[in-house]
Amino acid sequence: MTRDVMRRLAEARPAHLDPDAPVDEGTRRAELARATYGAQASSAARGRARGGRRLRWGLAGVAVATGAAVALAVLPDDSAVAPRDGGSGGAPVVALDARTILLTAADRAAAQPDRPGRYWHTVRVGSGAYRVKSPGGDYTIVTRSEQKAWTPFTPGNHGWSGSRDLGAVPATPADEAAWRRAGAPSELTVQVGGRKASGPVRLKPMPVSTRPGEERIERHPLVGGDKVFWLGRNVTMKDLRTLPDTPAALKKWLLRSYAGHGTETTDQKMSSDDWLFTVTTGLIIDMPVTPATRAAAFRMLADLKTVRALGTVKDARGRSGSAVAVTERTPNGTFQHRLIIDPATARPLADERVLIKGAGMSAKLPTGTVVFSTVVLGNGWTDAAPR
Amino acid sequence: MADDAEHFTAIYDACRQRVWAYAVSRAGRQVADEVVSETFAIAWRRLADVPDPPLPWLLGVARNVLRDNFRAEVRRESLAAELASWDAAVQEDIADQVADRLAIVRALAALGEDDREVLLLVAWQGMAPRDAARVLGCSATALRVRLHRARRRLARAAADPPPAARPARTVTPAPLRIARKEVS
Repeated sequence: MTRDVMRRLAEARPAHLDPDAPVDEGTRRAELARATYGAQASSAARGRARGGRRLRWGLAGVAVATGAAVALAVLPDDSAVAPRDGGSGGAPVVALDARTILLTAADRAAAQPDRPGRYWHTVRVGSGAYRVKSPGGDYTIVTRSEQKAWTPFTPGNHGWSGSRDLGAVPATPADEAAWRRAGAPSELTVQVGGRKASGPVRLKPMPVSTRPGEERIERHPLVGGDKVFWLGRNVTMKDLRTLPDTPAALKKWLLRSYAGHGTETTDQKMSSDDWLFTVTTGLIIDMPVTPATRAAAFRMLADLKTVRALGTVKDARGRSGSAVAVTERTPNGTFQHRLIIDPATARPLADERVLIKGAGMSAKLPTGTVVFSTVVLGNGWTDAAPR
Repeated sequence: MADDAEHFTAIYDACRQRVWAYAVSRAGRQVADEVVSETFAIAWRRLADVPDPPLPWLLGVARNVLRDNFRAEVRRESLAAELASWDAAVQEDIADQVADRLAIVRALAALGEDDREVLLLVAWQGMAPRDAARVLGCSATALRVRLHRARRRLARAAADPPPAARPARTVTPAPLRIARKEVS
């Protein structure tokens, strides 16, 4: 009887708990990267509530970096991170300073409508750039994935999330030529190296495919029953909707979670201004705060001295917007961390990290590469459940 | 260094899903991903200490991560949702012996945490008692005693099935401060 009950128990194991089930490649990459790199602040799941505790090894860029942009706006190697005009050869663009851009955005944001529905729905494309070794010349390939999320307005309802691999593409026409010389392979391997305090690390080559995958949509309970986003700490929808609506009060509220280190790892120091920029960028890109809070967020960024204006730039999908940025120095590269917004409505377009100086995992990538990006395709309230 | 990375990747590939399945069976899917993340981050930092076979050690680490980093209420809620999903999965199944599997799954849900842990290490992970003992940090003899008792309680509960596991309730936990202390 007791032996029998163990056999019956073994047979009742749910399919998803099969210990020999394969691990999703994106998950594998992310987890290996998280464990070994520590670091890179990331795009995709950055804003999502973090299962009950502050993640020491947040989402590393690598995997999260599955995603973005077809005509990826990669800059020529040596023009590096110079701001670019929206229309080339057109009338000269008046260069606005960061403060002006952000204060204008604050006014526009304050005037946006705010009518919550059952779900806050976001659609984004995340991407990451990798270097591929090839006898005919190395080239850069960009992995892309579409990520959807439905966050319930009312606690107690489930959230939903969906993701779909869009397939990798060569970064630039030159990269595409090199990829074609290599026989236009659909299955590639990229070398992913990285850096820990103790020195460089190199992982097994990572497989990348140019073929799109299928969409997977999953229903999930909220973290801790009601936590919906991460904003320096896990917050509920009610927390988000009742955030302060003045820059000083919002800054104070956010800084209560600041402990001197970055948002993704505890062993990298980050200044409070850079930390505020990263956390607030997450708020602006992802979260259903009230127009008054959104305006306060822009005004708060306007007061940060490290934030610089880049003028009009194109995001990874080729959309023009106003960009502001800070410089982020990490063991895996120095990046220009950009927030790109639509100047007319202050709605977020993209969050990108452009390589200024390669190191660690970005060492082989050309300067100017958009190493990670999150492009917002849509943000808004809906009453429709995903299916 | 390169060897380390390869060695680590091999450990990850061999064990990741098992660590995840263990964490899910202890605390549900919401929590499991973070447990896996943290467990392998620790394994990387302490690579020289990882024994062969690595699995019992890794599950032991995951066990500590769960205990130290997640408040009991958070674990319980996440687990309640998970247990309810096993119940639902069996009910949706059109295969034979649904009634029997349902009885087992419900009996399992009704057991105490310690009983469930030891049973699942053996029945679902296929662990030898000696390895399961390493995970739990007890002697093989103690493990056998625990297993024997847990098995008996499971058989009894399965013969007299309790009602369906309740779906997770949305309670309002206190702000998640646990994490704050360890990152300061």
